Amino acid sequence: MNRDDSKIVAFCCEHSAYQAANKAGRMRLHYPDNVRIIRVPCAGRVDVQHILKAFEKGAAGVLVMGCQEGACQHLTGNTRARERVKYTDSLLKEVGIDGSRVRMVNLGPDMGQQFVAEVKEMAEKIEGEMRR
Amino acid sequence: MIIAERKPLEEIKNMLSGYKEILVVGCRTCVTICWAGGEKEVGILSSQLKLASSREGNELSILEATVERQCEKEMVIEELRDKVQEVEAILSMGCGVGVQTIAEIFEEKPVFPALNTTFIGMPEAEGVWVEKCGACGDCMLYWTGGICPVVRCAKGLLNGPCGGTRRGGKCEVDPEKDCAWVLIYRRLEKQGRLDLMERYYEPKNYRAVKRPGRIEAATA
Amino acid sequence: MQVKIGVFLCDCGESLKNIDFSRIREDLQRLEDIAFVDISHNLCLEEGEKAMTSRILVENINRVVIGACSPDLCEHIFTRLLEGLRLNPHLLSLANIREQCSWAHEGDVTGKALELIRMAISKARLLQPIEREVVPVSKQVLVVGGGFCGMRSALELSRLGIRTTIVESELTLGGKMEQFEGSYGIETSPQAILNLMSNTIEEDENIEVLTSAEITSVEGQAGNFPVKIRRGGEQVSQSFGAIIFATGHTTKTLPRDFEPELGRNAISQRKLVEMLQAPEELERRPGTIGFVLDVSDENSRLPILSTLNNALAVKERLGSEVYVFCKSLKVDSEGMEKLYREAREQGVVFLKFEEKPQISKEDGRLKVEARDLLLGEEVALLCDFLVAEEKVLPCEGTEALGSMLNMRTDSQGFYQDENVHLYPVASERKGMFFVGGCKGDLDFARTSMDISSATVSIYELLSSGKVIVEVEKVKVEPDKCQACLTCIRICPHSAIQLVRVDTEKEVAKIYDLACDGCGICAAICPAKAIRFEGYADEQILAEIEAIGESL
Repeated sequence: MNRDDSKIVAFCCEHSAYQAANKAGRMRLHYPDNVRIIRVPCAGRVDVQHILKAFEKGAAGVLVMGCQEGACQHLTGNTRARERVKYTDSLLKEVGIDGSRVRMVNLGPDMGQQFVAEVKEMAEKIEGEMRR
Repeated sequence: MIIAERKPLEEIKNMLSGYKEILVVGCRTCVTICWAGGEKEVGILSSQLKLASSREGNELSILEATVERQCEKEMVIEELRDKVQEVEAILSMGCGVGVQTIAEIFEEKPVFPALNTTFIGMPEAEGVWVEKCGACGDCMLYWTGGICPVVRCAKGLLNGPCGGTRRGGKCEVDPEKDCAWVLIYRRLEKQGRLDLMERYYEPKNYRAVKRPGRIEAATA
Repeated sequence: MQVKIGVFLCDCGESLKNIDFSRIREDLQRLEDIAFVDISHNLCLEEGEKAMTSRILVENINRVVIGACSPDLCEHIFTRLLEGLRLNPHLLSLANIREQCSWAHEGDVTGKALELIRMAISKARLLQPIEREVVPVSKQVLVVGGGFCGMRSALELSRLGIRTTIVESELTLGGKMEQFEGSYGIETSPQAILNLMSNTIEEDENIEVLTSAEITSVEGQAGNFPVKIRRGGEQVSQSFGAIIFATGHTTKTLPRDFEPELGRNAISQRKLVEMLQAPEELERRPGTIGFVLDVSDENSRLPILSTLNNALAVKERLGSEVYVFCKSLKVDSEGMEKLYREAREQGVVFLKFEEKPQISKEDGRLKVEARDLLLGEEVALLCDFLVAEEKVLPCEGTEALGSMLNMRTDSQGFYQDENVHLYPVASERKGMFFVGGCKGDLDFARTSMDISSATVSIYELLSSGKVIVEVEKVKVEPDKCQACLTCIRICPHSAIQLVRVDTEKEVAKIYDLACDGCGICAAICPAKAIRFEGYADEQILAEIEAIGESL
């Protein structure tokens, strides 16, 4: 990845966000095409290292997208993911990458519009910062 | 086991300034278990250093390795012997013992500590480690129902409590912590050994372990 | 062995017009380990499958990459195809170039589609086969609790040809059935239903009943749970394939609102039921009976159900005036709305309060004072009897059992659903199910559905006597494991245990049958000793690195 490509890596839980992304596609809700979705069995599979590696390899933003509070089939996967995202954000700040380039999102499988909204928001934030 | 914590990135970066080729070494034992310096943390720190250095325009070259136990000479030699040739400095993510072992074996290479070794302790809950033992060399746990006042009492009192215990059995010095002597009392009460509380414990002999400590086994 | 990849691309009936498939094929063919790139119009249809089959039979490939629609639509088709061709179905990597590419963006998306396929290829290179194994399972099911739910579960399982053992802590079966007056509109009394069920169970060869018995330990995994049962001072061990927990509920009359000094006029629902069953024994017919609901708990349906049933019974048998003080009266279970309307038609008056009613003694009766929201006025009611609100709680021993099983309970102590939106009866442990009162469910319609749901799941799991399992899909590497116990403590499905390996070292071991493939353990393991095939660190990393990789 080239940092100029401003790619967004989105780790999507197969039970929620991955389905939401599919729904957005089925509804033909368009979003920026610099998003690359990586399917995971649970947001809890995503580790700090995965997120950092994404940045190391040139990603401009990372989204970790899992089930809504209380709806994780594996009980704690989404809460763990949220904690790890928060911790990774602090590690990124240590390195000078400020501005919440990594974000945790909770979605239901049918929330196509919210998926699109989250992606657009991250894309806009990145674009805004790159212009500066 | 030994509990340690990673130093702030800024401090680590300062140690490494001027060096371009680094070996980051983790340890699979104590510091893995307390989430401070295992293979995972080696990966995380290396990622951070690479990100930081590329943003600052000076590319760091980082090798990663993890030793089974950094305090065993043979294990250190076997794992690091080759990699050490390729670097200018070593950043150890082991406890203080590990750092010193590596430094002793590879004397010509600077070895820096990425962690602060903090205490001897155990996991209390997921992600929470607490101090239990101060390695004083003169264990008095018989008298205190298995609770060590030397490290668990903020004042290290041997004949506590201090009289400043707060409501709910909390410590006068740190209200978040339990008063060790309240814990001791309750424990001895459960065991019907409260008479031990009446014993006067003489001031501790801190020379029980002459520092630096050294023990030689009687037999091979 | 050298990796050789076959790539199949689907243009979905030539409808994915914003992808230039021939350009993608041209680019991919430059890669060394790609044996071929085929473009099809309908990989999911027979013609597409035939083409894939003949290609794979001819070419000597050992990995398959497919760029098509979303995996949840087509993956099963391709895995089945690969199984038929004796290729390990796991050596397949899918790229979603339809829903998440062609349909999601305007304009030409060839570049993105190519990247997604390259991500899938990078992952495919690192895929390892996962073997399948047939594991025998015990076809015996344990039902804990011999109340309505326990008995009903056993009877349904018996109808499906599955043998059960009911373990009941009391002397007899029945649970709380005798405490119910009945369901208004249902002719048969609970007592009669209970007799019928008990008799049927007694005559059923598939059902064994152990009364005055309790569970002392549960080990193992779905398909094989060794359980210790204590009965009459003796302990027996038996292995079960699945367990249904129907340990039930209990009710507690709230002390705060109904202190003893309120006297004999403050009664429980149970006492009211006794009165209703023997009205001739009353000194005089009560003129007014009041009920109070929703003071401490607005969510439990049982107090509402009992109140409506008993209020109607009072109207029918005693003819008294009936008033119900309530806050929200949730009637969202089957038949409750109808019951409520019936009650109103029979003259039961419902008063809606916002603040808790005040209760006091007056002239040998009880006075209830509250502000009725609809009238907008203070109302004072003198009752001969006031029926206390009851709190529904899980029965005693629920917490202890929950600990033994490593199962979560909610803030009120009831067992929790695995996924509240999708799987109402399953618990977080495979092979263990919860039904009825112990889950906080107390209306018969919902509970009956849950029981059917659970029994069918169990039938699917156990009826053939064996289960096909993916061997070591998630595996602990014994050499790297430091026995820190982290994975064992956090596995939501209790699928990991400490075992001793041949070198006398203790390490964690993941049990395939119980593992639900979430990967939380793989992420958290501080020693990086857990490998999750298909989502291993290097496989995820390969996908990341393939993004933006120049050819």
